[in-house]
Amino acid sequence: MKKLREEFADTMLEVGPGDPRLVVMVGDISHGILQPYARACPGRYYNIGICEPTIVNMAAGLNKTGLIPVVHTIAPFITERAYEQIKLDFGYQMLSLNLVSVGGAFDYAQLGCSHHCYTDVSLISHLKRGVVVLPGSPVEFNKLFKETYTNGLINYFRLPEKPHGVEFARDDIRFGSGIRVREGRDVTLAVIGTQLANALAAADQLAARGVSAEVLYFHTIKPFDADLLRASVAKTRRFVTIEELSAHDGLYNLCLRATLGVNGVSAAQIAIEDFVHGYGNYEELCARIGMSPEGICQTALQLTRKAA
Amino acid sequence: MTLNKNLRLKIAQMVKASGEGHIPSSYSIVDLIDHLYGHVLRYDAKNPRWADRDYFILSKGHGCGGLYAVLHKYGFLSDQDITDYSTPRGILGGHPDMTIVPGAEASTGSLGHGFPTAVGTALGLRIQSRDNRTFALLGDGECHEGTIWESANVAANLRLGNLCAIVDWNGSAAQLMPHDDMPAKWRAFGWEVHEIDGHSAEQMQATFSQLTFARDALPKAVIARTVKGKGVSFTEGHGKWHHRIPTDEEMSALTKELAA
Repeated sequence: MKKLREEFADTMLEVGPGDPRLVVMVGDISHGILQPYARACPGRYYNIGICEPTIVNMAAGLNKTGLIPVVHTIAPFITERAYEQIKLDFGYQMLSLNLVSVGGAFDYAQLGCSHHCYTDVSLISHLKRGVVVLPGSPVEFNKLFKETYTNGLINYFRLPEKPHGVEFARDDIRFGSGIRVREGRDVTLAVIGTQLANALAAADQLAARGVSAEVLYFHTIKPFDADLLRASVAKTRRFVTIEELSAHDGLYNLCLRATLGVNGVSAAQIAIEDFVHGYGNYEELCARIGMSPEGICQTALQLTRKAA
Repeated sequence: MTLNKNLRLKIAQMVKASGEGHIPSSYSIVDLIDHLYGHVLRYDAKNPRWADRDYFILSKGHGCGGLYAVLHKYGFLSDQDITDYSTPRGILGGHPDMTIVPGAEASTGSLGHGFPTAVGTALGLRIQSRDNRTFALLGDGECHEGTIWESANVAANLRLGNLCAIVDWNGSAAQLMPHDDMPAKWRAFGWEVHEIDGHSAEQMQATFSQLTFARDALPKAVIARTVKGKGVSFTEGHGKWHHRIPTDEEMSALTKELAA
């Protein structure tokens, strides 16, 4: 499956020539793969440099003049470092921005915690006009970007390094709607991003143990498809969230809010509690915090046994 | 040198009536803003979002008393707007809100935001081959912020000839960081630098009238030597007046000086 970052470049090349308002600014990453866009849209591509708050400030200036900015760089630097710019220049001033990050969570596993980002989704979600899209496959980004980038809001797209590998039909991807990837009756696995692959593998393991897991995948987290989650949990009465986000504000919180009033629900969360210290590849860091088929399976089994 | 005494009095009256405002920071820049609106900027007060206007961004938002007084003078704001300053029924507050204030191009307050935004505005206008110019007024204390120098670096390297930064060099920054050669700093970042007395109508006229805004020329920095609190003897300088509200006695004395 094509990398999300490559799809980002291809989508800019697809959209840019037809929309003279689109301007892409990057913080010295993805420079090479964006050259086809830069050639197709002269004067509308800028590798600004290593100054993320200024890039976001500048994007506000571009938007004031009627342009549609797309800002792209590494997640911690463009969301956490530049959050005041996002909050004030776009939230307070009611301007529009498209942020496209790579390196969310611990995708840059081998570079250490300085390059990790667990709070990006939460930060953007705090803004009333914030929109958060977590595409886990190329078609999701292509469709959801084209549907949202002119909406006048603050759109955040977190592109994972590794696609989840599931081929969704284009028509099944609808902004703001989750996808029931697998039906089940005993426990709901609610998942975002790359972890869809682990959730589906866990569902297989659970099936082998006689537990029927329903897998819900959310490519859009704000707005959140609470109805899909609530309907599933009304059936299963149990859910586990698997989210490469801070444990303190993310998918679990959304699911708890969605199931308020549903009786007898038990829940568990697999998320990021604190800095994931040390090095290793992405899969090794995932396994360290229970984001593996086995970890998800064990957490779900504990829920079902408790309930039993 | 011609001080804008009426504008200064209006600023003090707004602050006194509402109990909020930065008088010295406004007095430092009110002559500059008045000159810009009176002689430099292209705008339509009855159509503040006119597409061909010049963009003026007050990056040191706490000096907004100076901006409000000037926007009132040139017809953007009504008498009632001034009367309602910093009240629940009004649109004017201790920092400007671009979503509700006619003529305010940016909602500033947190320092270090307005100027980099102006860099983006200048770039956006150039991308679209529009002739509008962008002016940003910065505080020298604001120049402690890293984003000022990030964006100064970007603007010079992009050769944003349609951009002019005006630095209110009133000595606030040097209180904490005495290494404060503002013209040298902007030159080092590659800007075309001009130095003026920011209270001198003659020097402002001489400098701003000869600035050129050619596409791809260097961006321009006008370093304006100013006096914080300029115009009233006891508000001048650095100290208790930064965010002070005049007592009745002080207001009388201030009014008397400005009427002289």
